[in-house]
Amino acid sequence: MMAERLAPPPRRIKLLVGVFEQETGLLAAARAAREQNLPVYDAYTPYAVHGLDAAMGLPRTRLPTVCFFCGLAGLAAALAFQLWTATSNWPMNVGGKPFHSLPALVPVSFETAVLLASLATVLAFFLRARLWPGRSPVSLANGVTDDRFVLALGPAVTFDPRAGEVLRQHGAVEIREIEAAP
Amino acid sequence: METRPSELAVAPVEAGGHPPEWALSPHPPLVDGEKSLHQVTEDVVSPLERFPGPAWYAGFLLSAAAFLLGVILVTHEIWTGIGTWGLNTTVGWGWDITNFVFWIGIGHAGTLISAILFLFRQRWRTAVNRAAEAMTLFAVMCAGVFPLIHMGRPWLAYWVFPYPNHRGPLWVNFRSPLLWDVFAISTYFLVSATFWYLGLLPDLASVRDRCKPGLRRTIFQLASLGWSGSGRTWARYETVYLLLAGLATPLVFSVHTIVSFDFATSIVPGWHTTIFPPYFVCGAIFSGLAMVLTLMIVARKVMRFEAYITTRHLDALSRLVLLTSCIVTLAYLTEFFMAWYSANPYERFAFLNRAAGPYGWAFAIMIACNVAVPQLLWFRGIRTSPALLFPISILINLGMWFERFVIITTSLHRDYLPSSWSLYAPTYVEVGTFVGSFGLFFTCFFLFCRFVPMIAASEIKGVLHDGRTPGPAAPPH
Amino acid sequence: MNRYPEFKKDMKTLETEDARDGIRRRQFLEILASSFTAMSLSGCGFRPPKEKIIPYLEQPEDVLPGVAQGYASTCGCCPAACGMLVKCRDGRPIKLEGNPQHPLSHGGLCARGHAGLLDLYDSERLRGPLAHGLPSSWPLVDAEILRQLAGIREQNGPIRILSRTVTSPTLRQAIAEFSRVFPTTRHVTSDPVSSSAILEAHRRTHGERALPGYRFERAKVIVSFDADFLGTWISPVEFTRGWAQGRRLGLERSTVSWHVQCEARQSLTGGNADLRIPIRPSDLLAAVLDLGSRVARRLRFESGEKLLASGEPSAIPPETLDRIAERLVDHLGRSLVVSGSNDLDVQLAVNFINHLLNNYGNTLDLSQPSLQQEGNDEAWDALVSDMEEAKVSALILLDANPAYEHPRREAFRRGLAKVRLTLSLAPRKDETASLVGFVCPDHHFLESWGDAHPHLGVYSTAQPAVAPLFNTRAATESLLTWSGIPSTAYDFLRKYWRENLFPRQKRWEDFEAFWDNALHEGVTLIEEERLKPAAFNLQAMADLRPIRPPVAAGELELVVHPGIPLGDGRQANNPWLQELPDPITKVTWGNVASLSAASARSLGVVEGRIVEIAAGDRAVRLPVHIQPGMPPNVVAIALGYGRWAAGKIAANEPIRKMLPIERESPGGEDLYPFLGTPSVRITPTGQMAALAKTQTYDYQAPPGNGRPRPLAREATPEQAVPEAGPQPPGHSEDPAEGPALWPAHEYPGHRWAMAIDLNACTGCSACVVACQAENNIPVVGKAEIRKKRDMHWIRIDRYYSGSESNPEENPSVSFQPLLCQHCENAPCETVCPVLATLHSSEGLNMQVYNRCVGTRYCANNCPYKTRRFNWFDYAHNDLLQNLALNPDVTVRTRGIMEKCSFCAQRIAEAKARARSEGRRVVDGEVQPACVQSCPSAALVFGDIRDPRSRVARAATSGRAYALLSEVGTKPSITYLARVRDRGV
Repeated sequence: MMAERLAPPPRRIKLLVGVFEQETGLLAAARAAREQNLPVYDAYTPYAVHGLDAAMGLPRTRLPTVCFFCGLAGLAAALAFQLWTATSNWPMNVGGKPFHSLPALVPVSFETAVLLASLATVLAFFLRARLWPGRSPVSLANGVTDDRFVLALGPAVTFDPRAGEVLRQHGAVEIREIEAAP
Repeated sequence: METRPSELAVAPVEAGGHPPEWALSPHPPLVDGEKSLHQVTEDVVSPLERFPGPAWYAGFLLSAAAFLLGVILVTHEIWTGIGTWGLNTTVGWGWDITNFVFWIGIGHAGTLISAILFLFRQRWRTAVNRAAEAMTLFAVMCAGVFPLIHMGRPWLAYWVFPYPNHRGPLWVNFRSPLLWDVFAISTYFLVSATFWYLGLLPDLASVRDRCKPGLRRTIFQLASLGWSGSGRTWARYETVYLLLAGLATPLVFSVHTIVSFDFATSIVPGWHTTIFPPYFVCGAIFSGLAMVLTLMIVARKVMRFEAYITTRHLDALSRLVLLTSCIVTLAYLTEFFMAWYSANPYERFAFLNRAAGPYGWAFAIMIACNVAVPQLLWFRGIRTSPALLFPISILINLGMWFERFVIITTSLHRDYLPSSWSLYAPTYVEVGTFVGSFGLFFTCFFLFCRFVPMIAASEIKGVLHDGRTPGPAAPPH
Repeated sequence: MNRYPEFKKDMKTLETEDARDGIRRRQFLEILASSFTAMSLSGCGFRPPKEKIIPYLEQPEDVLPGVAQGYASTCGCCPAACGMLVKCRDGRPIKLEGNPQHPLSHGGLCARGHAGLLDLYDSERLRGPLAHGLPSSWPLVDAEILRQLAGIREQNGPIRILSRTVTSPTLRQAIAEFSRVFPTTRHVTSDPVSSSAILEAHRRTHGERALPGYRFERAKVIVSFDADFLGTWISPVEFTRGWAQGRRLGLERSTVSWHVQCEARQSLTGGNADLRIPIRPSDLLAAVLDLGSRVARRLRFESGEKLLASGEPSAIPPETLDRIAERLVDHLGRSLVVSGSNDLDVQLAVNFINHLLNNYGNTLDLSQPSLQQEGNDEAWDALVSDMEEAKVSALILLDANPAYEHPRREAFRRGLAKVRLTLSLAPRKDETASLVGFVCPDHHFLESWGDAHPHLGVYSTAQPAVAPLFNTRAATESLLTWSGIPSTAYDFLRKYWRENLFPRQKRWEDFEAFWDNALHEGVTLIEEERLKPAAFNLQAMADLRPIRPPVAAGELELVVHPGIPLGDGRQANNPWLQELPDPITKVTWGNVASLSAASARSLGVVEGRIVEIAAGDRAVRLPVHIQPGMPPNVVAIALGYGRWAAGKIAANEPIRKMLPIERESPGGEDLYPFLGTPSVRITPTGQMAALAKTQTYDYQAPPGNGRPRPLAREATPEQAVPEAGPQPPGHSEDPAEGPALWPAHEYPGHRWAMAIDLNACTGCSACVVACQAENNIPVVGKAEIRKKRDMHWIRIDRYYSGSESNPEENPSVSFQPLLCQHCENAPCETVCPVLATLHSSEGLNMQVYNRCVGTRYCANNCPYKTRRFNWFDYAHNDLLQNLALNPDVTVRTRGIMEKCSFCAQRIAEAKARARSEGRRVVDGEVQPACVQSCPSAALVFGDIRDPRSRVARAATSGRAYALLSEVGTKPSITYLARVRDRGV
């Protein structure tokens, strides 16, 4: 419900950030915040924490769909191109074989499908996750890429006393208010 | 704490729910020494922040020198002609394609470990997958060089790509296995590189965050694409990683299948065999794992990664090596059986000549190294001893190189018309070029050790106990 | 300049080679100078001769730039004087072919004849006259020679002209004119490989010193004692034609001639025989006498039997000889016994056998004898002793090189020093020319007017196809100048023909018409007075000397013979010939000591071991070659190699060093000092030399499992009859005849195909050189051949029957010409990634050179291994030799694959001609170079879709098979199995 499908956040938003030393604390805090209808802005972890997506209530990503259709497109394009060159654009008698010798077209079609699927999926991921060279990382607390787990609640929770309570209750070692650029 | 290493290989299968893995696992930790999360970052990243030791410099310079030798010889070869090699009218491929298949084979273990073991939830792969993937990339680079330089006119190599041109309708031959190779290998390289880079992103961010502002930080800033460890990104990241693993797995099989088509679809006796695809894929994994073993045994010692790449890892790799060795042995036997059973005189002679002809010595090396030596791995004592595994892994690599040499040379040098039979021996140019390819491989590997986190720290962290002590209010899920 | 864009590059190559090979500056300048000469020639030098010459096929007004013209001429490579067509493009000869209208050679031309073209463009020919070794000018040289000749005439000093056989009647006339002016002149004829004994034997038996015309086509039984008549003996093209005609199996013919060869070495002719009997040279006379006495006994001619009975047991089993005698007697007047021996006794005995068999007048023609070998050994011996005794004042060497090509050359050299005036007309500073006072270089035969008289009644003309490249002068002209009859060779030739030949014919009233016709046709038949040999003189047989004692113990009998590639060595500086593999040994670039396996074992040597061959104080070192089919205790070595003054190629200097670490070893040794030596000592040395062979495995059966592969197939006469029988041999187990996996492609127009009759192919290798000339195939040099990188598009595979495990048996030899098979399902095409090799709609497997990137996959996948790769930029840096390149065919760069194209350029030319004339291409109109060259017409080319074409009919023969058809390639080439009648 707090999905990124909503309108982009305002230029600078105020977040309440809790820093944890354990993933368990982070997970529990995230779940508790959602139970109390507190908006979870994001979490930042040094590794992929299992169950975090569920705890944050993230929807399923549609990247597999991208992957499937791009693969299909690659397959179709490669097949069509090979058939076009071999039968219509430049039909040549090669080794006495028929122009449309389908089994010979399998390897290239397969490889093209895999290539297109992989590259398109990764590209879609980069775009969707807003990752590209030159982009500076969201930095709410030090050590997120080392050993800290950060839960950011917001927007518009800094005046809600429940927010600080949730963080504190689940073992946040540090709680801060931060103005962040999204 | 001493446990049966075999238990390592089988991690708990995660059921529908998400119980934290550590909570259920009765198995020993994947990392020795009760490391903390920070300790892992420190261990993995700090080698990049120090000046390397003399061993690194010595190794790097040696590799670079070998690489330079290769560059000089390849330049000589391109300048003067393929005739600087020992090939002839009958044996059109020799060390060039042998090396190509050898390196492609080496390049298979990385993706196997990354993708296939990932899909099989073999969590022990985390300690070795980064290096194995890097090895894949470098091996594929080495492999890619050989088809390029083996061309008579390598400056026209781009003609193998089907691009619109002004020569009238002029396309490539989609029936040629060499063209399939072009697609398979370039796809494999691109997908492997993407996969590797994707896995590298969180660690690059770790390095970035430890840097002081400056050039180094700017470089890592650019390379890490602004990674911030966001939970939303992690969720998508895991999906993409899984998708790529799913795509890379058939890709691994397809690449060596297609490489084997270079031979299997031809009509040369000894090449024209339907068993080649599985046989080649297994051989590739066999040799690739042996190379991973070689590198890991050295790296864990030099980089002091014994806590991460434990003897249990070596044991698990050795088991895979033993398995693939047995499959390869079966393939050898099948080939000989089929040659006899087919009653095809050309096929029969090709195999008789392979074992007892002028290159019988190469065949003997191949059998000794690929069939006999790996049988030592039935013993756990050998599997867990780096000092013993190291020579074995080297011998397997040697044997697998000879396998390709035997397949290529013995099949070509005596085929249908006895009038055309001839022998083949490499010249110093070919030998030097092969040495140069090792130079390229190790130069890249040394640079990799120096500039990129060699162990997937973010994945290691995910399998540690640290960070998972139950918090005050951890509600069951 | 811009006609040779590679000029710049060549200069660069020269410079780099300069540094690499350590060429000295002077040498470099020489090369530079020669290149500039070539350049200036290319700019203005190439022009037709001044005199009127007649194109063979087209009228002069039709001459178009870029369109080739053929001029009828005569081959000057050896005295056989085959008829020849010179193909010229833009004023320069680019290809030699046989003249189909020639009554002797019938359109055939041997390998050496084909290679004669390259001799024209030999940059090591002399560029002008030499006086005392230094370049001079014609007026100066002539003045000095005339001054000296005048002095000699005053003192009545004997003058000698020494030459090989002169077939040109005009040149003989010029010699006569010279002799008239200088009456003390005598003309001595000596051939390097002499047939003097045959002429002498006929003088004794028939009263005429003449060489009979051999009519192999009429012979049903041929027995040859060491006569390599298909390879090197007298007139091989003519004999091959005749022999093949007698063996041609057609739909209507089922019997062929039966050919027995008794010989000491394994010769090409022996390889083609139905029955080959290895005998040692010392056994030869006994065998001939034995056979003769058996023939006489069967004919109940007791006095003859007595004459021939030697009492010595012969080396051939009596039952074998009896069968041969039986067959001979069964074919009285239709048999032929020949011997290549230069031993008078042998030749006398052979004459007697032929006389007994009534062959004179039937298969042997003494009334219209051959004039192709006239050398007289006695005259030569007399000349040398005269010279040694200082009884010769002037010696004119007219086409002779005795300082090299004679066993007694040391005596000749000693004598030469005592001759006041020595002059040579050699075209190069050869071994003799470098010893004489004056060299007045003759033209190459493609530059000069001339004629030939090979058989009585047969006259052929030689037209120059190009103006002389260098400042040379025709021999006729030189002789005439010195005789004080200033005349050009052209005028003198016409004068001779007007005065001597024109009156003897009736067809033409006008000399000009007669002359034009003679030039146009290239050959003219003139009624001449026949020779009337006397009745057989039995008395001559009484002189038969007893048989020589056998060879001393510990020595091996020596056979020194002219080889197929170089013959007697006069063309040794020809790279095409040096690289032509000997059809039997398959060795290139040098000669070898051929030994039987038993002899090698007793000497303790293996193939490649260098041995010292010594007799008296003469010794040479040669590598050993193990030759199956050799009798024990015999060593056979080819002549013609080891020339030290013929040029860089003959000396086998590296054509181009490809690798800095590679070294060439000198190729071949000179065996002339041993010619006639009966036996030699052989001592192994510690050295080895890898032989530069193009084929290293000799058997159709692979080692180990021993079952021969059905490659060069053979049939017995019974199997081959009927020719179009219901059960063709070899076709039964052909899986290619099964159902196809996919529909075949259509061939709407022509579909080119070839048939190769193995029964006619002798392996003479003319096609190999013809193809090389037509298709600009580079020469790669000894080191490259040793690596098995020969570039020939057509090769002759030679197999011995039996298996490797038994090299001591006398095998039968099979020859199989192998070129691209133009498979319908070509395996090479499928694997090329860039579509550089494709199938044309006319069934050709095409190689697109400029698309090829050089993966060599096609060559790996070719089961016939007919594809050739350009491993280097093979030397085309002799700019003069580049003028022999065929402009219709691309010169390939390095890094690409090449192969036989079925002479696509000739197909295109024929199609264009047919289209412009509004007709279809007729059968036989397209002749690839190999087909055109074949002296035995073993190769047939045409459109297989036309059921009446010769190739289509050949494909229906019962002997037809496709090579490796079980692979499913469906080749366009049909082989016809060889029929061999072992008979005994």
